[in-house]
Amino acid sequence: MTVNVFQAALLGLFACLASMPGMGGTSIGNYTLGRPLVAGLIVGLILGNVTLGIIVGAAIQVVYIALVTPGGTVSADVRAACYIGIPLAMMAINAQGLDPNSTDASALATTLGATCGTLGAILFYGTATINLVWQSIGWKALENGQTHKLYVVDMVLPWISHIICSFIPTFVIVYFGQDMVDVIMGSLPMDGLPMKTLFAVGSLLPCVGIAILLKQVISKPTDFLTFFFGFTLAAVLGCNLIACSVIACFFALINFQISTINSKLAHVGTSGSLTAGSDDDDEEDI
Amino acid sequence: MADYSKKVSKKALAKSFRNWYYGHLTCFSQEHMQTFGYLVSMLPIVEDLYEKKDDQVKALKTYSAFFNTEPQIGSMIVGVTVGLEEARANGEAIDDETINGIRAGLMGPLAGIGDSLIVGTLIPILLGIALGLSQGGSVLGPIFYIVVWNLLAFFGMRFAFYTGYDLGGAAVEALVGPNATALRDSIVMIGTMVIGAVAATWVSITTALELPGGGTLQGTLDGVFPKLLPLIFTIFCWWLMAKKKISPIITMLILLAIAFVGAAVGFFGAATIAAPTA
Repeated sequence: MTVNVFQAALLGLFACLASMPGMGGTSIGNYTLGRPLVAGLIVGLILGNVTLGIIVGAAIQVVYIALVTPGGTVSADVRAACYIGIPLAMMAINAQGLDPNSTDASALATTLGATCGTLGAILFYGTATINLVWQSIGWKALENGQTHKLYVVDMVLPWISHIICSFIPTFVIVYFGQDMVDVIMGSLPMDGLPMKTLFAVGSLLPCVGIAILLKQVISKPTDFLTFFFGFTLAAVLGCNLIACSVIACFFALINFQISTINSKLAHVGTSGSLTAGSDDDDEEDI
Repeated sequence: MADYSKKVSKKALAKSFRNWYYGHLTCFSQEHMQTFGYLVSMLPIVEDLYEKKDDQVKALKTYSAFFNTEPQIGSMIVGVTVGLEEARANGEAIDDETINGIRAGLMGPLAGIGDSLIVGTLIPILLGIALGLSQGGSVLGPIFYIVVWNLLAFFGMRFAFYTGYDLGGAAVEALVGPNATALRDSIVMIGTMVIGAVAATWVSITTALELPGGGTLQGTLDGVFPKLLPLIFTIFCWWLMAKKKISPIITMLILLAIAFVGAAVGFFGAATIAAPTA
C-alpha cells in the first residue's frame, strides 16, 4: 500500500480539522472527524480500502471511547491516533498479510493507534503553545479597538499552528511510513516475543478506555452492578448494543420514576400533607 | 425584559451562536482556553447593541476574562450573557463583575454536567451503537454516528443558547434542580450499562495457557463466566486509575509490562481466535 503526495496531503488536512483544538470546530472536528471510527471511514476512502479502514478505526475507537479532557489536560491526541495511527495500522496489517477480521489485526491496530495517540500529545501542546502568539496579537487588537481582527485571531491564524503541528507531521509520517512499516514488520517474525507482546498489549489496551469512562460514571460501589448488568447482557445473553441500549433505557425509566416518587415523598414528609406536596410539581402524574 | 428599547436582532443572535458553535476552541491555548471563542461570539452582540466603537470595545473587554467549560452545554452560558449584555445596554445596573461572576459561577457546574452527560454518556452510547453497526467494516456505523451526533449537537447547542438568552439564570436552574438530577442519574445509568455491553463485545482478551491435566485455562474461565478476563482487566485498570490515581499513560505502560511478561511465560499466545462477535 503506497501513499502518494495527494493522499498524504489530504490526511494532513483532516488532521488539522480533527484536532482538539482543531480547525473543524469541536462538534464537527474533534467529536466527529476526530473519532477513530469516523476517521476509519475517511482514511479508508482516501487510501482506497474502506472496509479495512473501518475495521482499524473501530479497534482504535474502543481505546478512545471516552476521551474526556477536563481542564485541557490530554493523555492522548486524536489527530495522531486517527490520521497517523490508522494509516500506519492499515499498512502494517497489509505488510503482515493479516486477515482484517482477525483478532490479531485488531490488536495490531489498537497498539499502533494508542502509541501514536500517546506520543501525539506533544502535538496538542505544540498547537496550544503556538496559539499563544496569535492570542497576544488578539489582546493588542482588542486594546486598540480593532475588534474585527479578533475573527482573524480566532479562526484564521490558528491554521498556521496546524500546518506546523498537524499537517507536516501527518504528511511526513504517512508518506514515508510504508518503508518504515515494511522494515519493522519484516524484522519481526509473527511468532516471536515482540510480536506476541504487541498482540497481547493490543488486546489489553481497550480496558483503559473503558476504565476511564468507568472512573467518570462510578460514584458508589453499587454503580458497578449497573456496569456488570450491561456486561452480562452482552457477554452471557448475547444481546447486541442496540438491544442493550433498549433494555438500559427501560431500567433508566424505572429509576427515574422511583427517584421522582422519592423526592415527592420527601416533600410530603416535610410539608405534612400529600396535596401540599403535589401542587407545585403537577407535571409528574404518575 | 420585553419592554427594552434596545433588542438584540435575530441576525446578531444567529451570528453569535454560529461563532460559538464553530469557533469556541479554534484558538485554544492552555492559558486562555475558550476566551477568544467567547470574544468572537459576543462581538456581533456588542456591535448590535452599541453604536459607538468605544462602547463596543468597553463591553467586549468584559469577556476577556478566562473562560473554559464543556462547550456543547456551555452554549447556554453564552446565551445567558447575551441576555445580561442586552439588559446592561438598556441601562440596568449590571457591571463587569456581575457578568463575570455569573460566568465564572456557571462554567464549573456546567462543565461537570457536560463532561459526564455528553462526553461521558451520550457520545459513548452513540459510538457503542455505531461500533455494533460497523461489524466487519460496514460503513453503516460511522454514517450513523456522523448523522445522529451532528444533528443532536447542532440543535442541542442551538436550544441551549436560545434558552439561556430567553430565560437567563432560570435556564440553568432547570439543569441543576432535583428533577434534573433524577433525569441525569438515569441517563448516566444508560451510559454505564451500554459501556458494560461495549466492554463485553469489543474487549477480547484470551489466554493460551494449557492446564496440566489437559484442556485450556480459557475453557475453564469460560465455564466460570464468559469474558471473565476482559472484566478483570477492566476493573484492574479502573482500580489503578481511580484508586491509585495513576495516569492513563502509566496504566498503558503497566499493561505493556503485563503483556510482555504474559507473552514470555505463555499466558498470552499468538491469538488465533475469531474476531469479536456481537
